[in-house]
Amino acid sequence: MHSKPFKTPALPRRTVLAGLAAAGATAAMPMRLRAQEQITLRWWSPQSSPEQLAAYQTQIANFEAQHENIKVVFEKTSDEGYAPQLAAAFASGDVPNVVTHLPSFAVATYWTNGLLEPFNGVIDMIGPDKFYQGANDIYEIDPGQYAGTGIGNSAANMIWLRTDLMEQAGIDQNPRTWDELLSAVQKMQGGGIYGAPLPYGRNSMTSLVFIGVIHQAGGQVCAPDLSVNIDTDATRDALEFYRAMREFCPPGATNYSWGESLTAFVSGACATGLYTGRVLTNVANQNPSIADHITCDLYPTKSTDVAPWTFNDFPSVFIPKQAPNMEASKQFAAFLFDPEGYIQQLHAAPGHVLPVLKTISNDPDYQDNEIIQKYSAEVELMSEAAANGFNLGWESRDHMPNAKAGEIVNSGVIAELVQRVVLNDENVDQVLGETTARIEEIMAS
Amino acid sequence: MIATQTITPRLERSYARLGVLLIAPTILVFSLVIVYPLLAAIYLSVFSIYTPTLEGNFVGAANYVKLLTGKAFWNSLGVTLIWTVGTLTLQIVFGVGMALLLHQNIWFRSLARSLVLFPYFLSTVVAVLVWRWLFNDLYGAMNHGLMQLGILDMPLDWLGSMPNAMIGVILVGAWKYFPFVVIAVLARLQTIPEHLYEAAKIDGAGPIARFWDVTLPQLRNVLVVIVLLRAIWDFKEFDLIYLLTGGGPVTSTQTLSLLVYQEAFGLNQMGQAAAYSVGMMLVMLVFMVVYIRKTGKEG
Repeated sequence: MHSKPFKTPALPRRTVLAGLAAAGATAAMPMRLRAQEQITLRWWSPQSSPEQLAAYQTQIANFEAQHENIKVVFEKTSDEGYAPQLAAAFASGDVPNVVTHLPSFAVATYWTNGLLEPFNGVIDMIGPDKFYQGANDIYEIDPGQYAGTGIGNSAANMIWLRTDLMEQAGIDQNPRTWDELLSAVQKMQGGGIYGAPLPYGRNSMTSLVFIGVIHQAGGQVCAPDLSVNIDTDATRDALEFYRAMREFCPPGATNYSWGESLTAFVSGACATGLYTGRVLTNVANQNPSIADHITCDLYPTKSTDVAPWTFNDFPSVFIPKQAPNMEASKQFAAFLFDPEGYIQQLHAAPGHVLPVLKTISNDPDYQDNEIIQKYSAEVELMSEAAANGFNLGWESRDHMPNAKAGEIVNSGVIAELVQRVVLNDENVDQVLGETTARIEEIMAS
Repeated sequence: MIATQTITPRLERSYARLGVLLIAPTILVFSLVIVYPLLAAIYLSVFSIYTPTLEGNFVGAANYVKLLTGKAFWNSLGVTLIWTVGTLTLQIVFGVGMALLLHQNIWFRSLARSLVLFPYFLSTVVAVLVWRWLFNDLYGAMNHGLMQLGILDMPLDWLGSMPNAMIGVILVGAWKYFPFVVIAVLARLQTIPEHLYEAAKIDGAGPIARFWDVTLPQLRNVLVVIVLLRAIWDFKEFDLIYLLTGGGPVTSTQTLSLLVYQEAFGLNQMGQAAAYSVGMMLVMLVFMVVYIRKTGKEG
């Protein structure tokens, strides 16, 4: 039997002990010191179509190429899911570094609760002169302090029309009033095609769209001083219109949110639609047979006396105050507006998110897009409408910013108002009274 | 003799210390994951707390007063009970029926026994996406099939109106969870002594009589445990209902779990949500007491 002779270790004991001590010291070193070598930034957004994800990857790759010690990770959220996810993130302190594409009213809510980092420095890095006049006003919740900035504009409640179906139905002009719209959808409905995919679900789309309908009746949810003012004849008219439209919507519209409503028009199942310019790219990719027969307009109002009201959620960029690596986060937030990546991001869904930088709108690279060129009139109309758009966080130029808008929308109180009156046929006076009380409770909380 | 008496208590003390040492990790984990959250929920429930900041002020019993006097909790409790009773009944009926079938000498029995577990193993998100597609008004196979068969003239609104929405979630819940009943019942069926059936046959009992007089009494104990366990699990079901209907239309399918979630993360009122969850826990305690007493007796 052969046995190995005992050998003295190659490393002396002192060296081993010194090594262990050094390793222990490294382990005990503050994380921040070691993290200087490699930083990971987390980017959240609810906008994550395959084309947009590809654009984000370009932006991330370009940024990482300039900052070798920084790695950026994109994480999806959703329009219906961001509020609980961010609430949990803020509560736990495990927040993303940069959040994009959330509506401005959500930003206002977080800002007023002291959860966001002032964005002035980032706007300075981007270049304040590059923005359209007043583009950042909605984010100036406290004088001189910006809670975020817009990454784009959106005209979310444009009415989309099938011109071929209009022609077949003998309709020679886009509906301007609700009566004209009701008449048009009645004429176009049939043969397996519904009139409109309005949402009646218990979700944020129903709330946001119906807030627009209230304004299209000449009403408002809150008065300019933010006292609740929803229990009005205008809201009753809006509910009557919404009830009248129900028979022209698919049966499942009672559960529709943004995705279902968009698909209903793009697939050709509905003669009209209600959405942003994402319709254009989806039609081009998913149903090109109707690409030459679609157009958009401002959503009709109760009468010609009432001006159109465009819902712009002012897709935002902001940075949570608790985010680690703040300087890198700000650099990345500013880098999102770098022309190459920003234009690719805008081209991912042409007309869906519209540029907030005038330097980009005028950039030949931005204009060099097949869809933007093909639908230039529609894109122009959406840009103009979005620039004059509002949302519950800022209902009109006379209104104060409403920092409770996000909670009103997330509570589902407006969607429930629609469902109770339109679907359940409950007494409108009683429901409006209860709705007012619930909104007042949220405003006071 | 004296030496033995001295050694025994020492050994017992030593074993006792070892026992404490061995059980300590369990107690520690139990305290961290159950006792701490429970106490934290009770603590939070007496505060008004804004979820993202976790800041707030003491409000005493105000959240419980709102729970007792408001409609939300009681409405959701009613919805939860309808959902639990409805889906559990179907799970038991389908589960026992399928177990009886799979207990027979049928072709491809092993394959069938494997496939029947499929819904239970499937991720809830995936299952719900498939069902939402099946229920879709414009492209769903359900409406398409029923219209092709001439049963429907127009697509049916499966998930957006009542009572269809509740029926829909109950059916999907039953489909998702009945395999659990199948597994448990099938295991018990295989242990029922064959001579009981032979004796029943000699006494002239037919298949139905044998089921009622032999099989069912033998399954009684396992069914009690299944009913209690599934009742507890169904009572707190969240993801399946949230993804299918979001609690709508209005609040028709908003169970207590969804109410707690809505209050905590929709309205950012963590204190009120904690009060609702404590209320929910008290209701669940009834199920648990029955379960503990039942299993205790059997033990």
